[in-house]
Amino acid sequence: MITFEDVTKRFPDGTVAVDHLDLEIPTGRTTVLVGPSGCGKTTSLRMINRMVELTSGTVAIDGDDVRTREPAVLRRSIGYVIQQAGLFPHRTVLDNIATVPFLLGWDKRKARERAGELMELVGLEPGQARRYPHQLSGGQQQRVGVARALAADPPVLLMDEPFSAVDPVVRASLQEELIRLQDELQKTIVFVTHDIEEAVKIGDAIAVFRPGGRLAQFDVPERLLAEPVDEFVEGFIGYDRGVRRLSFFPARTLSLRSDVVVDAGTSAEKARSVARDAAEPWLLVVDPDKRPLGWVSAETLEGAAGDRELGSLALVGYGHIFVVATDSLRAALDASVLSPAGRAIGVDTDGTVVGVVSQADLGAAIWSAGDAAVPVGGRD
Amino acid sequence: MTEAPPVDWGWIQRQLDGVIADRLLEHLYLSFPPILLGLLVALPLGIASARWRPVYPPVLSGANMLYAIPSIALFYLLAPYTGLTPWTAIIPLALYTLAILVPNVVDGLNQVPDHVRQAAAAMGFGPLRRLLQVELPAAIPVVAAGLRVASVATISMVSVASVVGLGGLGQLILTEGFQRQFPTPIIAGILLSVLLAFLTDGALVLLQRWLTPWTRGRRAEAGRASRRARASSAPAREEEAVP
Repeated sequence: MITFEDVTKRFPDGTVAVDHLDLEIPTGRTTVLVGPSGCGKTTSLRMINRMVELTSGTVAIDGDDVRTREPAVLRRSIGYVIQQAGLFPHRTVLDNIATVPFLLGWDKRKARERAGELMELVGLEPGQARRYPHQLSGGQQQRVGVARALAADPPVLLMDEPFSAVDPVVRASLQEELIRLQDELQKTIVFVTHDIEEAVKIGDAIAVFRPGGRLAQFDVPERLLAEPVDEFVEGFIGYDRGVRRLSFFPARTLSLRSDVVVDAGTSAEKARSVARDAAEPWLLVVDPDKRPLGWVSAETLEGAAGDRELGSLALVGYGHIFVVATDSLRAALDASVLSPAGRAIGVDTDGTVVGVVSQADLGAAIWSAGDAAVPVGGRD
Repeated sequence: MTEAPPVDWGWIQRQLDGVIADRLLEHLYLSFPPILLGLLVALPLGIASARWRPVYPPVLSGANMLYAIPSIALFYLLAPYTGLTPWTAIIPLALYTLAILVPNVVDGLNQVPDHVRQAAAAMGFGPLRRLLQVELPAAIPVVAAGLRVASVATISMVSVASVVGLGGLGQLILTEGFQRQFPTPIIAGILLSVLLAFLTDGALVLLQRWLTPWTRGRRAEAGRASRRARASSAPAREEEAVP
């Protein structure tokens, strides 16, 4: 556990970056410090490894005051990842990763062996070991940065906006990779970002800072989105916090209708009666493997010759789908909003259709989710 | 002189092991020690200037002022103390290299990106280790670029040292050539001086490539730009070569 006890940082020019901060960062979890620029989140992070010296108060790791440790020695026991990776341009990827083991005086071969293992862990090709940082893409450099931070297997990992300099697609994959790594490694991660979306995605707990270096709220993401303590936090989280909160409710709780799913070989005649029985304006047409082909409207069916097969009619593209077992209510809602039929298609992990859910039924599910104080888990 | 061919090949053949070799060796003895000595002095000055910003302006002004003193005057000023020893040439020439080398050491250290410096500190490098293992290696391309300019400039300036009787290829040009109204040694002296500068420059390029494998395949080098800027802002000293 990392504890901040009444910590204040005042810079020589008089500005107070961190103001009487009390915070307990749990061991083995990911804690995100988030807030607008100038809120003291990075300063707080850097006080943990003494890159910034605090003015008053105490920062302790597992009860040991960090100021009792020699800075260079302390830092070798704490992983650190920064925005632009900060790789050493004159060292190969392998030797960059082996930096801290080298500093700790490990045998060179053992250090490089360990670096090789880490390359695999963070998803780098072995062929990149002898390359230099400038020969890598931004995303790959960031992976090297993470591998370097983990090389000496430190219990604590500090990450200062590590993914904000890469494009959104790469960022998303790095975030997922981090979540996967953390499931495996269970490090005490302190992660700084200004992006609440990122905080909600990767954080087990989120500390929201307000300008002037004060802690506004410290909570699990679900509760932060449900119950922001004041207007500042609410404003910072954003106007669509309600929608985003749905990320924490699993889609598997939805009741899907399968009576409106029809095979491509069905005749228009038969489909008409299905639509009438279900009182639904849209039917989902699937192929013999139960994969979605498209929507057909009751209107189209009325105008079609009775013996025509549905597969030969003009179908409306089915748009987005969601995976019932793993996606959240948010993904289901998104799929229904984007669907030309106003209905979301739920599929199994193998892509076969489970059923569809209308926006009205989704609304009911969202309504009951809103009542649940603590969500059942699951995220998108 | 008017009817004689401009180059007397016979003289060159006869003197290849004689006066030409002697002067060439002297030239080497007079040019390489100042370059090395200059680098040894420029490194700590540059490191101090990069670390403590207020140090840099006086250091740079000092180096530039030294550079502005005509070399011939410095040679004569030093002669009473160092006599006809090589030091009379080595000390002024080493001082001249500072005007080129100090800014390059400073630029080289300053172009190490801040995030690299921060990362080094956060990994647990102490200040000295960080300097030796991260900042200086990363500065090598820029420092090497400065070293190339300084070397060529020094090799060219050594010729002036002959005026005060210190030897070198300048002596070949002056004593064997001008004083005897004999063009062959003048041409040989100029060509050898240029060749020596060319070879030294080439050797430094190879040395830098060997020292900095990470810059291979990265042609738009910050060091090159810096070197060019430096070379054009520093006034050429060649006009002094004719006394």
